[in-house]
Amino acid sequence: MSATPPLTRRALLLATAAAGLAACTPAPAAPPPPDPLAALAARARSDAALANAIATAVPALAAPAALVAKSRGEHAELLQREVDRERPPKPSSSGASAAPTTTQAPSAPTDQAAAVKALTDGLTSAQREAIDVVAGVPRYRAGMVGSVAAGCASLVEVLA
Amino acid sequence: MTQPTQDPGTQGTEVVSTSVPPTRPPLAQDTAGAVQAALGAEHAAVWVYGLVSAFLPASFDKAIGEGAQAHRSRRDTTERLIGASGATPAPAEPAYLPPKPVTNQASALELVVGAEQDCTVAWRAVLERTDDADVRTNAVAALTESAVRATRWRKAAGITPITPALPGQP
Repeated sequence: MSATPPLTRRALLLATAAAGLAACTPAPAAPPPPDPLAALAARARSDAALANAIATAVPALAAPAALVAKSRGEHAELLQREVDRERPPKPSSSGASAAPTTTQAPSAPTDQAAAVKALTDGLTSAQREAIDVVAGVPRYRAGMVGSVAAGCASLVEVLA
Repeated sequence: MTQPTQDPGTQGTEVVSTSVPPTRPPLAQDTAGAVQAALGAEHAAVWVYGLVSAFLPASFDKAIGEGAQAHRSRRDTTERLIGASGATPAPAEPAYLPPKPVTNQASALELVVGAEQDCTVAWRAVLERTDDADVRTNAVAALTESAVRATRWRKAAGITPITPALPGQP
């Protein structure tokens, strides 16, 4: 910086021309930070998919796993609807972002204890992530995400 | 929701250490109202746990003791939060009127589930009415703990579904 050349007339013209161009070209805005609810929705979808697979694979867990699948499916739908409401998906990608059923069916553990552990681990992480999100979101979202956290904790109790 | 049957009376005070500072900025008006309502739900839950113990067999003693203690502790924390922010915590009612008469184990279990549900609704309402990080932390913990206890009691009572997907959603 110490060796800055003196500002010549040519340099000044070039600089103003460039500035004018820059002003006309829309600067590529920094992409907005990802919606924190999108990650919660994704986890809810994968929990629901795992629970569905376990409900089929482990008959002894059919009822509790079905409740986990239903509840986490509701969480996914609610959270995704809120994400899409605040930041409507582009038409080309709307199908992909809003379709919870496209998640590939995970392979379910057939051992009962392993299946309970897999579900419980997912729900415990989901609860923790939701509680982390509650602190920094607008009020109506805080209520929604708080209920999701409480729902995950309750589902852990269902499996206990 | 259990209803008070008489005018507010006096209450005992307990000292439990928590993270509430001795003084803090006043709560916004809507926040304060929601926190007072949640305190009311905690007072009612403490009373309900005392009532149902007379109708439940000894096998429930541990769960009753833990639930009662958790609500007393949450009540005390909430009273300190309100007091530290310069307001007066609403006192407990001397007695509450259960929505249905409690006559046996089934009706007692139903009442305790209802008390926990009332707490989840009250604390979710707090989440929707505050931007204060401490109040939110408290509220989400209270909402979650009441939801888990409600689930445990429904399981014991054979009430289905064992849990709603979104506890506290009115």
